[in-house]
Amino acid sequence: MQTQNAVIPVTRLRFSSNCSIAMARKMLIDGEDGLVQGGGEEAANFDFDLFIIGAGSGGVRGARFSSNYGAKVGICELPFHPVSSETIGGVGGTCVIRGCVPKKILVYGASFGGDLEDARNYGWELNEKVDFNWKKLLQKKTDEINRLNGIYKRLLSNAGVKLFEGEGKIVGPNEVEVTQLDGTKLSYSAKHILIATGSRAQRPNIPGQELGITSDEALSLEELPKRAVILGGGYIAVEFASIWRGMGSTVDLVFRKELPLRGFDDEMRAVVARNLEGRGINLHPRTNLTQLIKTEDGIKVITDHGEELIADVVLFATGRAPNSKRLNLEAVGVELDNTGAIKVDEYSRTRIPSIWAVGDVTNRMNLTPVALLEASCFAKTVFGGQTIKPDYSNIACAVFSIPPLSVVGLSEEQAIEQTNGDLLVFTSTFNPMKNTISGRQEKTVMKIVVDAQTDKVLGASMCGPDAPEIIQGIAIALKCGATKAQFDSTVGIHPSAAEEFVTMRTVTRRVTGTAKPKTNL
Amino acid sequence: MATSLSFSPSLSLNTLFFAKTFPLSRSSFLPFPLPLSKSLLSLSTRRRTFAVRAASQNGADSTPAHYDFDLFTIGAGSGGVRASRFAANNGASVAICELPFSTISSETTGGVGGTCVIRGCVPKKLLVYASKFSHEFEESNGFGWRYDSEPKHDWSSLIANKNAELQRLTGIYKNVLNNAGVKLIEGHGRIIDPHTVDVNGKHYSAKHILVAVGGRPFIPDIPGKEYAIDSDAALDLPSKPEKIAIVGGGYIALEFAGIFNGLKSEVHVFIRQKKVLRGFDEEIRDFVAEQMSLRGIEFHPEESPQAITKSADGSFSLKTNKGTVDGFSHIMFATGRKPNTQNLGLESVGVKTDEDGTIEVDEYSQTSVPSIWAVGDVTNRVNLTPVALMEGGALVKTLFQDNPTKPDYRAVPSAVFSQPPIGQVGLTEEQAVQQYGDIDIFTANFRPLKATLSGLPDRVFMKLVVCAKTNEVLGLHVCGEDAPEIVQGFAVAIKARLTKEDFDATVGIHPSAAEEFVTMRTPTRKIRKTQSSEGQSGSEVKTAAGV
Repeated sequence: MQTQNAVIPVTRLRFSSNCSIAMARKMLIDGEDGLVQGGGEEAANFDFDLFIIGAGSGGVRGARFSSNYGAKVGICELPFHPVSSETIGGVGGTCVIRGCVPKKILVYGASFGGDLEDARNYGWELNEKVDFNWKKLLQKKTDEINRLNGIYKRLLSNAGVKLFEGEGKIVGPNEVEVTQLDGTKLSYSAKHILIATGSRAQRPNIPGQELGITSDEALSLEELPKRAVILGGGYIAVEFASIWRGMGSTVDLVFRKELPLRGFDDEMRAVVARNLEGRGINLHPRTNLTQLIKTEDGIKVITDHGEELIADVVLFATGRAPNSKRLNLEAVGVELDNTGAIKVDEYSRTRIPSIWAVGDVTNRMNLTPVALLEASCFAKTVFGGQTIKPDYSNIACAVFSIPPLSVVGLSEEQAIEQTNGDLLVFTSTFNPMKNTISGRQEKTVMKIVVDAQTDKVLGASMCGPDAPEIIQGIAIALKCGATKAQFDSTVGIHPSAAEEFVTMRTVTRRVTGTAKPKTNL
Repeated sequence: MATSLSFSPSLSLNTLFFAKTFPLSRSSFLPFPLPLSKSLLSLSTRRRTFAVRAASQNGADSTPAHYDFDLFTIGAGSGGVRASRFAANNGASVAICELPFSTISSETTGGVGGTCVIRGCVPKKLLVYASKFSHEFEESNGFGWRYDSEPKHDWSSLIANKNAELQRLTGIYKNVLNNAGVKLIEGHGRIIDPHTVDVNGKHYSAKHILVAVGGRPFIPDIPGKEYAIDSDAALDLPSKPEKIAIVGGGYIALEFAGIFNGLKSEVHVFIRQKKVLRGFDEEIRDFVAEQMSLRGIEFHPEESPQAITKSADGSFSLKTNKGTVDGFSHIMFATGRKPNTQNLGLESVGVKTDEDGTIEVDEYSQTSVPSIWAVGDVTNRVNLTPVALMEGGALVKTLFQDNPTKPDYRAVPSAVFSQPPIGQVGLTEEQAVQQYGDIDIFTANFRPLKATLSGLPDRVFMKLVVCAKTNEVLGLHVCGEDAPEIVQGFAVAIKARLTKEDFDATVGIHPSAAEEFVTMRTPTRKIRKTQSSEGQSGSEVKTAAGV
């Protein structure tokens, strides 16, 4: 494929993020002409209209939607395995194989631990110790993931997308090379290239780090650890702490800050910390790990306070890095930031106009539904005749700790920073009805942050059972700028936890525009 | 729960009653500030007429009235407590009377907290929690949990724990009243004139009287009805039913069917109609019955009870129009509720009630006697606790905040705590088609992640009803785990009249069940009144959807 031919049309059509809609539209029309006519005088003959590297959430969505718009699409993905590496992946990506889905399956499994405790005061007579079989759960989890992997493959083939197994690499602005399992290389030209290779868990650089595992392995352990030490305060750390504790393990959670879940509302972080402790997880705030040592009794874990813990498993949940190393990006001129994330404009376009990137590899907001959103916008923009950028405002998210946390919009701290006027903060802390009989000492906390001047609800958070299911509907209201008055005019569903969100009559506190409390949480 | 809204009394009647029976000489009952002529401008026609008269009469008589209380409330359930508390917070002097506490209601027993707290929402949900565990044990098997022996349930410890919780709650309600400065009087309240209530022979005068006495289960008159229990008794049985017949297809019947089934009773549900839950969305009606059947409940559609007989062995037989089913340890009737309006003295003071005893009120909850008001189930509008709270709150605004307020019944969400539960808000498909004609329907019917692991046949059904012309989401329905919790947030969106685009613009929470509501891209069917005058049949409709 002559690179020259390929470059000309895309260069002509290149637009920056502030380019006018008219220009963008033009590009799209040209693009479609190219598809229909198989090339005008300048248009090149490409093997594909779109070639995607990475068949995770973003890649599969981008492939299917582009194909539905009439594009000829190829996609490549590494061979399937639960534990990822430079050469291992699998159709479905992180979410399906080593993220959301297996994680939630284990959270379900672990939640029964608490349910069984709760059942006793409701009159259920259970054995003192109910047996939990980790191997059985793991097998069923793997079966389910294999099933989903198959479904994703079928989705692609039903959409007419050509799937290649192997490692993809970018050779030129319009050319990719796929190295197959047997080492043979395939080379294809494509009018557009979409990078959706996602990210991978990282390990800290401390002595003995090879003794620890990441979340990939944690989702596929042979045995349930009796004693687990988790390093990290992010959502992954907190979720695994809840999973193992729910299954009966002793869990130590070690994190650098005062509270886990940096970036979330401070008040809610404190609630999560309290609940984790209430469920029997040992918290080690303001602590780091300095060394892991193999001993006969297990892994000796040494903290920077000189404390020693013994563990069967040490999990590093200390962040993830984009899978951008082996794509040959620098050589073709795609820019990366210092974490290895691909730099893109608001339309997910890299510095090279024919190369685009969505999902975790761009490290914008690393959530499956956001990758889906980015990929949908990409497909619409490039093949759907509709220039559209993802809107990152009021995206709800959930932490599947036990009990879970879910939030949408601004935290109180963000609201203080981003608004000038006063804020009204409404909170509700209550004993969920189920606990009145089960005797569980765990409060549900809900919070709404309101702009005092406009009455607009800026943020909503909840920590308690069913929080993610409850927040989804609230997210629509926030997305559409709902006011506190609109919340108040909604009648409650009784008896539910969610009804608290529409019955918060009394303001808990008013935060004045000038008073900006500093925290070092 | 009644889904029909009956805003009753006619204009003429009310004015008439006002003119005739209201003791104008004592009147200062009007909540509106003087000068009246000015404040009246914003009021409805009916109110204007009535208030103008009051104004003129007031002018003629300047004697200030004196009452023991500004507000006397009969009935300390959800509506009564809310109105009394809020009124007191607004500076009114308030008294409330309530019958002595009992888990079983009657002419002489009740209890502070009312139906919701003592024999409705709260105990019902506690029993739902208790009964759900058996399903969770089954699910947990699929997740690797194993029990040496089948978990057994001890009925009496559950009921004891439940009753302890009810005692605690009724105590809290008493405190709430006490802290608000409301005088609580125990006894049966009876209205003897438009401004006087008799409680156990003592008379209390009040500027306004609020009737919030609620409703009670009703068992139809068939031979052997004395063997039947109602929901009051079902919530407080001394022992677990081995085999129970539940007569009725409404939400109470379904909730108890789920409770007893979960606690391992054999459950038979007898419904007069073909389907359960009349008034709900048709697809939801089918779906919930199917899911409940899969969990082991046996439905007997179109089977009406005719008689109950007791056998020598102490078991009961239920004779229906289709035959007789034997061997029941219990027969429960969930065949509706009636307002508690007997012996209130309503007829003698001229408060109009309809034939089943429902108090007729206008949109402001005012009865045909202007100083007497009524909220909650006794008015049989929308019989839900949060609606009684809304009516009570609106009444206080009308009476004590110079702010005449009508409760707004649009998009009131509700739940059925069956297993699986239902949550809904807004219009059913059938109502939407009738009111708007052109409707787009989006549905999802899926096996949730939990069920793929548990191996149980649990599914979730979700439905959006969208106005084709405006794209407003008119109705939302779910049946499946967590449905009531899921629906509350969407109710805010639907109350705010948001559109399908607004739903689509919202990013999902993954992995959740609720995210399905913001990721429904393709209509399941489009219903167009303009194309064919008849309702379209299934297959035709499906073709339209594919496009």
